[in-house]
Amino acid sequence: MTEGLDLPTYEDVEEAADIIKGVANRTPMQTSRFLDSQLGVNVFIKCENFQRIGAFKFRGAYNYLSHLSSEVKSKGVITYSSGNHATATALAAKKLGIDATIIIPEDAPKIKIEASKEAGGNVVIFDRYTQNREDVAAEIQAKTGAHVFHHHKYVLAGQGTTGKELMEQVTERGHGPLDYLFIAIGSGGLISGCAIVAEKLAPECKVIGVEPEAGNNTQQSLEKGEIVHIETPRTIADGAQTQHIGPTVFEIVKTKVEKVITVTDEQLIDELRFFDEKMKLVVEPTGCLGLAGLRKMVASGEVPPNSKCGVIVSGGNVDMRKYFELIG
Amino acid sequence: MSQDLDLPTYEDVEEAAGIIKGVANRTPMQTSRFLDSQLGVNVFVKCENFQRTGAFKFRGGYNSLSHLTPKERDQGVITCSSGNHAQGIALSSRLLGMKATIIMPQDAPELKVNATKGYGGNVIFYDRYTESRETIAEDIQAKTGAHFIPPYNDKYVIAGQGTVGKELIEDVIDGGHGPLDYLFVCVGGSGLISGCALAAEKLAPGCKVIGVEPEAGDDAKQSLEKGEIVRIETPQTIADGAQTQRIGDVTFEIMKKKVEKIITVTDEQLVDELRFFGERMKLFVEPTGCLGLAGLRKLVDSGEVPANSNCGVIVSGGNVDVRKYCELLG
Repeated sequence: MTEGLDLPTYEDVEEAADIIKGVANRTPMQTSRFLDSQLGVNVFIKCENFQRIGAFKFRGAYNYLSHLSSEVKSKGVITYSSGNHATATALAAKKLGIDATIIIPEDAPKIKIEASKEAGGNVVIFDRYTQNREDVAAEIQAKTGAHVFHHHKYVLAGQGTTGKELMEQVTERGHGPLDYLFIAIGSGGLISGCAIVAEKLAPECKVIGVEPEAGNNTQQSLEKGEIVHIETPRTIADGAQTQHIGPTVFEIVKTKVEKVITVTDEQLIDELRFFDEKMKLVVEPTGCLGLAGLRKMVASGEVPPNSKCGVIVSGGNVDMRKYFELIG
Repeated sequence: MSQDLDLPTYEDVEEAAGIIKGVANRTPMQTSRFLDSQLGVNVFVKCENFQRTGAFKFRGGYNSLSHLTPKERDQGVITCSSGNHAQGIALSSRLLGMKATIIMPQDAPELKVNATKGYGGNVIFYDRYTESRETIAEDIQAKTGAHFIPPYNDKYVIAGQGTVGKELIEDVIDGGHGPLDYLFVCVGGSGLISGCALAAEKLAPGCKVIGVEPEAGDDAKQSLEKGEIVRIETPQTIADGAQTQRIGDVTFEIMKKKVEKIITVTDEQLVDELRFFGERMKLFVEPTGCLGLAGLRKLVDSGEVPANSNCGVIVSGGNVDVRKYCELLG
């Protein structure tokens, strides 16, 4: 089954790190004495809300587009996204001089739609509850000859640089390798890239995926042993409303991720408030999945005291009005 | 007149840096390509919202308590503050094994009261309309011998606050950008700007230190203009860390010589910066913490700060009630 898949390797992540160096931000890793004493573990938070375009997605988009041949670049690219990948592609494409068409759902946060336009992308809106984004992309491709991409090993390798940096930063601070790494799962690019890194840099590290309760397609896929497709879930985690993961992601998650757990929207709101009040960080709801998952597993006793736990905050792109509704 | 004042020097700031090392956070300096392209200058933001207790005040508190003799420590400390200084003293005392009594107005925000108690401070309330906090403090001092820690007009407090400017200037130079041309600092009691001006004079002598006050609370500006300390009524402004009625004689002496000027901004301008920090830089900042950037924006608009200048901006803290934050920006 895996012979058909072009799986990224750790070397692909290393290559991506070189390609994005000086272009993407090497975002800070932050800790909170309050959080550590509350949970009894050592938490290391990778702040991708400070990444260019406000989310980790820039890494994968830039790495992928950098690999295209001049011929393909000249025809432009098309991609679809719930938001952050859209803006990331728009900015990365602009930096590389490539025309980009971005297909975004109508109910994506306005801040994400505006950001994609601001970054120079041609935005095409669709209704995620009645239309199929792959179909919309295919229609445009038929007209323009542009190259459609979404997931690809170079995208996954780019996202993996997030985990690589986090592990390096934890080591630089004098701590040994991570015991756990908690990562949000939307389409699964981030966890795939980071799981490849963890396997290499911290082989004992348990990589835990966290999905919103209403959108647990990956959890179901792992349980069933095959990719499960769900209706678009209703959740405040708008970056994790994907209907199914792809075969490459499924393969990696099957073999390299310890388990996938879920958390409720209420738990995400609690983390939004925590990040705001205690760490002074503006984080988007999807970005709270990792910490909510850690908190759940500490509460259940599954993560023992003093464990070294990495948490990736995937982004900080949330409409202020929505943000206030949620935490106000 | 200044011979009677115990003025801090840059060496006091260096000493403070040694004392707080490993205790206070060496907070990050952050930049924003969007902001730089908007303003046409290079902005370096010192994020004291990430400091312990959520504001820079912890530095001055910890430095000043560290200078107490063992006997003084045993007698404990006392201060008057409803804000960040209270929390800074409460935590510092706990870390140094001292008792801290904090005198706060009855109507101080619950969030700040709880935070101070949470750090171990012993809170005593007073009615700000009928009682005098100075009298209450003196009574307690007479009984317990507790040492009073001023919120800003103290050499060791000022020196501690100066480490903010020292770190920022160092980080900017380490980043290969050369020394700062400007440093924008909010002014409440003026402890922060005084300390930072000492650091700037030594580490970036060409740097112009600009103080920023809320329009309604421009007592420091008036003082510099008049050549003597001006006292005002408690100003109405959302910048609750800059509602002081008067600056101190020690800080005034330093500012007279080392601060280029003090400007003011409106509450609306502060709200704009709150929004900018939240939306663009993903930073949760308190209104007072927005004074610096609002001031920079004003002087860029007026043409006073030329293009490509290296501009440091200190974000003093991030302690604002979430509900209040939402009201302001909603």
